[in-house]
Amino acid sequence: MLRIVNRVLIGIVGLVLLVVGGSVLAIGLGAPAPSWWIHNGRHDVLLSNAERTKWQDHGWWWPTVIAALAVLVLLALWWLTAVLRRRRLTEVLVDTGDGEGALLRGRALEGVLASEAGELDGVAQAHAHLTGTRTAPEARVHLLLEPHVDPSTALHHLAVQALTHARNSAGLEKMPAEVRMKAVKHRQERVS
Amino acid sequence: MSELQGSEGTTQRLPVIEKAEYEPPPVQEFEGGREGRFWSARRVPAAVVAVLLLAVTGTFLYDIAAVRAHRPAMAWRRELAHQLATRPLDDTWVLVGAGVAAVLGLWLLLLAATPGLRAVLPMRRPEADVRAGLHREAAALALRDRAMEVAGVQSVRVRMGRARADVRAVAHFRELGDVRADLNEILDEAIRGLGLSRPPSLSVHVRRPGRKG
Repeated sequence: MLRIVNRVLIGIVGLVLLVVGGSVLAIGLGAPAPSWWIHNGRHDVLLSNAERTKWQDHGWWWPTVIAALAVLVLLALWWLTAVLRRRRLTEVLVDTGDGEGALLRGRALEGVLASEAGELDGVAQAHAHLTGTRTAPEARVHLLLEPHVDPSTALHHLAVQALTHARNSAGLEKMPAEVRMKAVKHRQERVS
Repeated sequence: MSELQGSEGTTQRLPVIEKAEYEPPPVQEFEGGREGRFWSARRVPAAVVAVLLLAVTGTFLYDIAAVRAHRPAMAWRRELAHQLATRPLDDTWVLVGAGVAAVLGLWLLLLAATPGLRAVLPMRRPEADVRAGLHREAAALALRDRAMEVAGVQSVRVRMGRARADVRAVAHFRELGDVRADLNEILDEAIRGLGLSRPPSLSVHVRRPGRKG
């Protein structure tokens, strides 16, 4: 979700910069300007006093400018906090099957998942992080693989053991997971 | 495994952690077609753009509101208006600024439209809702370790591309052709062991120590 927002907003800012910069560059270097464009030739200025004060006498101008700027400020503020805030799931709702529910602390589930993943064959270190909502949590797991381990085998063990256990113990139908694997750096050596 | 799946969806029974028997390496894998790339969230560029946007709009909002409240405009705004109204488009600084803005804009558009995370190679899914990615260095290390198992290989360098694994080995005994054949065989198997969604093609070069080429 945040990924899409980030990309759309970055894209819009980039497009504005590209269009303004590119058009000024093109016209400044002598390209013919279309008649409806804001600049009409290479000797035109960026923003003349007449253009800048064109609507200043209208009653709606300053409120509109201030409102637009205020919206932009709020948008930027919201965006910045959304980017800086690390989403972490604080609790998972466990359906106990008798019509009631129990709350499981997200950190506890993360801890169990990480420690079980860390104990798997060939895994040197594991990190787990829960995102999503409390009824539909998602897991992010980072593994550090030991030397001489097949990544696909390690992934299979993780899926069958650690992830399945975590999912079952929280009573979840499903828990989508995203796994990233790195390897411990080590020197090359003959095995024999 | 079957016990585990049987208990899915209900928590009447306690989870069966102690029943987890060891399963031999993967046989059945979820066949879900080819995996897409991992898409970066673009957090850092987003934070930078958001901060800059906040700074620029906030300053303008503050100053315009101040002027509306009958306080004098800040000097920079008068200076900016003056510069905008006097510098022609073919002024050097205007051109430089426009060029920088255009390049920056193009770069931001590229950031927005490309997946990023080039170092993460998508893997096949072991289960339908488990997505996995392997870092390129990890893949290169795994291939290098396997290549070192071949008799005669003294040292190996592996460059892992997104679509190609480039293996350069130095062999200090045995026929180069034999070493290359062994390498091809063992590395093909190692590449399968990586479990990548798009297995890279393999290129193997073997040479004697001490000579370049």
